Amino acid sequence: MPGPLLRIDGLTRHFGGVQAVNDVSFAIDEGTIFGLIGPNGAGKTTLVNLITGYLGAQRGSILMGDVELAGRRPHQVAALGVGRTFQSIRLYRELTALENVLIGMHSRRRNDTLQQMALLPVFRRGQQERVREARELMRRVGLDDQLLGRRRAGTLSYGDQRRLEVARALALRPRLLILDEPAAGMNPAEKERIRELIEQVNAQGLTVLLIDHDMRLVMGVCRQVVVLDFGEKIADGSPTEVSSNPAVVTAYLGARAQTEGVHAPGSIEVTETLERKSSGDAASQPQPGATSMQAARAAGREILQVTDLDVRYGAVRAVRDVSFMVAEGEIVALIGANGAGKSTILKCLSGLIRPRAGSASFDGLDLATAGPDRIVAHGLVQVPEGREALARLSVRENLELATWSRRGSRGGIRREIAEMMERFPILGRRRDLPAGQLSGGEQQIMVIARGLLAKPRLLLLDEPSLGLAPQMVDTVFEVIEGIHREGVTVLLVEQNALRALEVADRAYVVERGTVLLSGAGADLLSNPEVRKAYLGISH
Amino acid sequence: MDFFTQLFTDPVGFYQSHELLVAQCGINSILAISIFLTLYSGQLTLANAGFMAVGAYTTVIMSLDLHTPLVLNMLAGSLLAGAVGLLIGLPVLRLRGVFLAIATLGFGEALRFGVILNLPITGQGQGLKNPSADPLNGITPILIALPILTYVVWRLTGTRLGQAWAAIREDELAASSNGIDVPRYKMIAFVAGAVVAGFAGALETHINFFVDPTSYSAARSISILTFAVVGSSVMVLGPIVGATVLTALPEIVQQAANYRDVVNGVILILIIIFRPKGILGGGGLAILRPGWWPQGRRLRHARAAAPD
Amino acid sequence: MAQQLLNAIFIGSIYALFAVGYTLVFGVLGILNLAHSAVFMLGAVLTYALLVLHHQPFLVAVLISVVVCGLLGLVIEFVTLRPLRRRNAPQIAALISTIGLAQILVAIVEQSNAGSLTSWLWVDGANSVRFPPQSVPNPTYHVAGLTLEASKLAIVVVTVMLVLLLGYVMRSTQVGRGLRAVAENPRAALLMGINVNRMFALTLFISSALAGLAGILFAIALTDIDPYIGRDQVELKGLAVIVLGGMGSIPGAVIGGYLLGLIEVLAFVSLGSNVEAGVAFLALFVMLVLRPQGLFGARLRERL
Repeated sequence: MPGPLLRIDGLTRHFGGVQAVNDVSFAIDEGTIFGLIGPNGAGKTTLVNLITGYLGAQRGSILMGDVELAGRRPHQVAALGVGRTFQSIRLYRELTALENVLIGMHSRRRNDTLQQMALLPVFRRGQQERVREARELMRRVGLDDQLLGRRRAGTLSYGDQRRLEVARALALRPRLLILDEPAAGMNPAEKERIRELIEQVNAQGLTVLLIDHDMRLVMGVCRQVVVLDFGEKIADGSPTEVSSNPAVVTAYLGARAQTEGVHAPGSIEVTETLERKSSGDAASQPQPGATSMQAARAAGREILQVTDLDVRYGAVRAVRDVSFMVAEGEIVALIGANGAGKSTILKCLSGLIRPRAGSASFDGLDLATAGPDRIVAHGLVQVPEGREALARLSVRENLELATWSRRGSRGGIRREIAEMMERFPILGRRRDLPAGQLSGGEQQIMVIARGLLAKPRLLLLDEPSLGLAPQMVDTVFEVIEGIHREGVTVLLVEQNALRALEVADRAYVVERGTVLLSGAGADLLSNPEVRKAYLGISH
Repeated sequence: MDFFTQLFTDPVGFYQSHELLVAQCGINSILAISIFLTLYSGQLTLANAGFMAVGAYTTVIMSLDLHTPLVLNMLAGSLLAGAVGLLIGLPVLRLRGVFLAIATLGFGEALRFGVILNLPITGQGQGLKNPSADPLNGITPILIALPILTYVVWRLTGTRLGQAWAAIREDELAASSNGIDVPRYKMIAFVAGAVVAGFAGALETHINFFVDPTSYSAARSISILTFAVVGSSVMVLGPIVGATVLTALPEIVQQAANYRDVVNGVILILIIIFRPKGILGGGGLAILRPGWWPQGRRLRHARAAAPD
Repeated sequence: MAQQLLNAIFIGSIYALFAVGYTLVFGVLGILNLAHSAVFMLGAVLTYALLVLHHQPFLVAVLISVVVCGLLGLVIEFVTLRPLRRRNAPQIAALISTIGLAQILVAIVEQSNAGSLTSWLWVDGANSVRFPPQSVPNPTYHVAGLTLEASKLAIVVVTVMLVLLLGYVMRSTQVGRGLRAVAENPRAALLMGINVNRMFALTLFISSALAGLAGILFAIALTDIDPYIGRDQVELKGLAVIVLGGMGSIPGAVIGGYLLGLIEVLAFVSLGSNVEAGVAFLALFVMLVLRPQGLFGARLRERL
């Protein structure tokens, strides 16, 4: 039995008063695949940044073999054999795919400045060998080096970019490979290929540290798992041990899930809540189109129509032939993985980007040509992610600005703002603080309040639960349901498909830029395919 | 148009009648290469005129006071510029973007006003007469140095060093995850740029009779920057093309001799608006079109209708 | 010495007025507008033209000049900045295009003389001129051994009033909040229905009008007018001022302006005129190395 490759002991890092990582200890055996999981904001990425030298630890040690990594700078850690990828892909976008991999070889390449000055190519050998090796690495991660080698990295598809980042990290010939959410935003088939890739590099003797949200991936591939929550280690052990740990269930699904009898993330069992819901609505089979249109007609007249929408970023077709509609008084959800094109659709609707083809109209206004200010004035208001709060303006100023495109008496508007602060006491209490000092959940509520003050007829909500603690997610969804009861039409974009489908009248499943399925929320909730792909529940 | 006719039908005559222009294009190209080195590594620095001054004054002072051979003087000038670059780089290279630009600009002006104008050895505000100036033969070293430098920098972009620079330019965080010591490579680029700028300064004293503090102002640094940006700051030929175009174009428009600077400014704006990444930089030629222009919308629909 | 301190306040006011506009554009658009100093120069030149060449009354001349300078700000926005924004050009491109425009403006004035197309604007080529004493009312007072010229006092009063006004607008009006929103996050501002392009244009208008006014006051009270007063006398010092105060910070620019005025006067008194000119850059350099965010910059933002 080989000993541990990496031993982390009492590692601690706080930012101001926030404990990002608190007294975490564990050991990674040589040759294993080690999983690091935990809800959003649990401190996983902070921990990776501590190991790789991007952040300094306040306490604790990180031993690789008998070399202390704590206190070293990132390039030194890399040279010692720790390769990593980044959660948000960080390729050299303007360089070619091959150049990206070649740069990955930096720390084991000799300084060849003088050699490369030679006039005749004969004296500049070495480069061809490196290129050959780089091509081999590209093939190893499943990239076609002939086809993609000379393409600029930024023009590759999302999945290929993730793979290229792995190839670049492998070019270091690392002893430990850290993958920070390599499968984020991938569909099940792509995830399967990432899983094969991880097992393949591991089979060649490489130790892997895998950080991911996808429980099925982590549970399926890892031999050892550590669970973090609020910066602390709450569980440690084999996948089966960890997934039956009650603390883990609470951390992932919130206290509510525990009382309702949900067992574990990624566990084999199906949640009872879902069973009950779906059996109740069993009469309506998930037939894309038919039922949803009926539901819509019952709700009211169509207020938003999107037809064959097509958006491109350069060569990448981010949204393809997307059509959907929203009727007055509905909550409609767009669900799908990260990078599926949901946010791009929203940006199109609020005029931030222009579609390449297709049409979108909101109550007679052509959204494909109108400017964002006209769209808002017409009553279509987007609530951006909580992080888009204007951090340096006070809460009150944020709310006052929300009434920008409204006519009407100042006094009336001031009264409305006061009412909004009564409705959300959290905002009232913090009215004179810069919005940046609010917690993530408070900011999210402020941004929603901002949206409401613009007197929308259709409110677009972009990932309202992203990065929030479970209790806060509950609050935010209660707010959304409250808004809906008051008669505001809502188009909700959510990664948290489970929660979104619970509140939505109808939903569309978006994958790789196109609408895959649609139906009433409850129908989709019981659709086996949806459950497998987006709820992470298999049977 | 005579300019071009002569260039192609009578290159020798052209060279003889425009020797000074050719020399100026050469100097400016070398200067553009000096700023290219830092831009290539993703740093916007504007100390180049300051380093030129170090190179120029060192060369002239050595030949005035020490009577040492010219080659040695120029070498000493370039190396001293590099040494000053090292000293300045230590505190300054932690800065980024516009802050780095302003700090280095400040260094250049502090050097000019604080040191050069106050030391008796630099002739204070009067400048110095260069005893070894030789406008006719001064051009030869420029014409020899430029292709060599171009070759060296072109080869450099393929080395471990050059690839590290490109990586830093694209993404510093990712670069350090690949084992690249970011501060060190930034410093190498900055010092190399300083040496080349110092060398250009030394060369220039031989086509001018005077070294004069006003030619090393912040405006000079900024115009050096425009050479590289207008050409392209990711390709070795970019700065040379930029420097040549911006130095020679105003000469071509002879009729507007009085309005030379106006023409210069118009050229600068047009190039940067139509080719924001430089003449040789990526991206097709943009056709400027206001948002309300109907044709764009029609095109979009036409494209939508066409099958893929 | 007291007289010198008084001078520090006069010159500091000009620096502050010039730098407030400079820093406003940097704060809102994230761009260094290097045509700012050319507008400063044109403010003085236009007023001179209206007064001396076209015989307009003083206040009319000042008013027209300030408005024209503001409009010139719109030219900067529409010609050199907006086309680049639409193309997602790197920010360095905007730096270069504003340099180009500055070059054009300076060259137009420089090449104007009695016979040229632009003789309505300027007839003195590269030479410098002074406002004729009778055209600008400028009584002088002697108080407690100090010489006080009305024009110099006016500089201080106008600067303080305008800065307070601008501060009020930015703090407490909806337009000011909109500007701050755009400065912080243009995308979020767009989603709130704010027409970001219009706010950018407004910023350039205000900024350039302030630059023009600073140029007029500078010329009336302190110096001769020539095509280079912007480029040579305030452009880089303006940079020093906004770095001292913290880039993008309006109070910072004001304090930085007076601070630089004081530093320069002290350097002049204690070290002589040769050192005076370098001191601004030394201060700038030291400030950037020790405290890059300046006196009032909340945090360092990567914008270029």
